[in-house]
Amino acid sequence: MFDTLAANAHLLFSGAQMTLFLSVASTVLATAAGVLLALIQLYGGMFGRALAEIFLYVMRGVPLLVMLFSIYYVLPYIGLDIPPLAGGILVVGFYFSAFMAEVFRGAILGVQRGQWDAARALGMHGHPMMLIAIVPQAVRLVGPPYVNTCIMLVKGTSLVSIIGIWELTLAGRQIVERTLSAFEIFGGVAFLYFVICFALSCYGRHLERRLRYAQS
Amino acid sequence: MHSPDTPLAGPAAAESPAEIEIDRVTKSFGTHCVLNGVSATVHKGEAVFIIGPSGSGKTTLLRCVNLLEEFEGGEIRIAGRPIGYRRLANGRRKRVTEREVAAMRAEIGMAFQSFNLFPHMTVLRNVCVAPIRIKGVPPREAEALGKELLDRVGLADKLSAYPANLSGGQQQRVAIARALAMQPKAMLFDEVTSALDPELVGEVLAVLRDLVGDGMTMMVVTHEMPFARELADRIIFMADGSIREEGPPEQIFENPRTERLQAFLHRFREGHQL
Repeated sequence: MFDTLAANAHLLFSGAQMTLFLSVASTVLATAAGVLLALIQLYGGMFGRALAEIFLYVMRGVPLLVMLFSIYYVLPYIGLDIPPLAGGILVVGFYFSAFMAEVFRGAILGVQRGQWDAARALGMHGHPMMLIAIVPQAVRLVGPPYVNTCIMLVKGTSLVSIIGIWELTLAGRQIVERTLSAFEIFGGVAFLYFVICFALSCYGRHLERRLRYAQS
Repeated sequence: MHSPDTPLAGPAAAESPAEIEIDRVTKSFGTHCVLNGVSATVHKGEAVFIIGPSGSGKTTLLRCVNLLEEFEGGEIRIAGRPIGYRRLANGRRKRVTEREVAAMRAEIGMAFQSFNLFPHMTVLRNVCVAPIRIKGVPPREAEALGKELLDRVGLADKLSAYPANLSGGQQQRVAIARALAMQPKAMLFDEVTSALDPELVGEVLAVLRDLVGDGMTMMVVTHEMPFARELADRIIFMADGSIREEGPPEQIFENPRTERLQAFLHRFREGHQL
C-alpha cells in the first residue's frame, strides 16, 4: 500500500537532511542575532535601541513568505544577487531572531529584581554582574520558550521551498507531481517534520528538568 | 519633632568618628515624597535601628545608603566621602560612574527581606563568589573565610547545599554571611526577619546579636521592637518620610515625646507584649 512512499523514501530523507541543515544554520543566526538584539534593546544607547525596535517591528509585521519573495524578486532588481540557499537562511534566521530577541529579553527581565539588588550590593556591576549573577538564571528561564521558537523555525523552513530551495517540502511536492500520490507522500513529509519537532520538544523537556534548581 | 537641620545626637555620638552621614536627603517617586530632608549619623561601631510604620521611608533610606536607590537632594557620606554624586563647578551634581558606585557598595554589606541568594550556586559559592570575583581574593583564602563565616552563623554543615534546599532562616543566615564575606565597614539590614515564619526569626536575630556584640557598624530596619530595644545603641523613628524622633532605646520606648511615636507604640503594644 505504501509502495510509492517506500520507493521515494530516500528522496524524502535527503530533503529532511536539507531541512535540518537549513534549521541549524538559521537557528544559529537567529540565536546570535536574537541575543544581540535583546542586549541592544536592554542596554543599548538611544540610537541603537531605536534601530533595533524598527528592525523588530518590520520582522514581526511582515509575513515570512512575503520576505522570502522580496529577497528572491526584489533584491536582484536592485542589483543584489544572493544565492537562494544563503538568502533563505538569512531571511529565516533574521525573521526568527525577532522572536528570539523577545525570548532572551524576557528571560533577562524575568530574573527577580532582588537578584540584581543582591549582586549590586556585593559590589558587582557591568559584565561580571551579568555573567556571575544574571545570565545563569536567565538561561534557566529561557529554555522552554527558546525550544518553542526553534520548533516554529523548523516548520518555518518549509516556506523556503517557494524560492526553489530543495528541502523536505519541495522534495515532497516534486514526488507528488510525478506520482500523484498526495496522501502517502505528504503524509510522509508531515511525519518527518513531526519527528524532528517532537525530538526537539523532548530535548526541551529534558533541558528544563536538568536546569531546574536542586529542590528538596 | 526636630527640624532636619539640627539632628539629635544619641549618647554614643561623641565617642567615635562618623561612619555613615545622611545629610538632608530628599527623594520622591513622582509627586510622592518618600524622604523629606532626612539627616542621621551612624558612628563607627554603633547599631542604629530604624522603626516606623510601613511606607514611612525606612527601607528607601537604607537603600539610598548604598545607592540601590537614587536620591535627589542632600548628601550621604561614608567615612567622610560623599557617595554617588559629584558637585560640579556650577553647583549641579553629576552621578559618578557605575564602577565607582560598585567600589563603594563593596564596602557596605546589605541583607534583604527576601534573602536574594543566588539560586544557581551552592551556599559556599554564594558566600565566596563576590570576594573572589570582585575583590580578587585568592579562592582558597576566600573559601576559608567563607567556611569560617558559615560556621559562625551555624551552617557549617550546609556548604554544598543549594538555597532551594534551605529554610528561610537558613537562607537569611547565608545571605548575612555572604555580605560579611566582603568584610564590609558597615552592614545594612532591611527587615531581615519579615519574610520568615515566626519560629525561624530567632536564629536570624541571634546572628545580628552576635554582630552587635562584635561592634559591627550597622543600620537595621526592623519591626521586631523587643529586639530593637535590646540591641540598639540608638533608635530612629520615621514616619511620612522624615525622622520624627531619635534617641536611646529606653527613651524611645519609655518616654516617647512625639504623639506620632506614642500612637505607633500604642498600636504595636495592642498586638504584642513589650
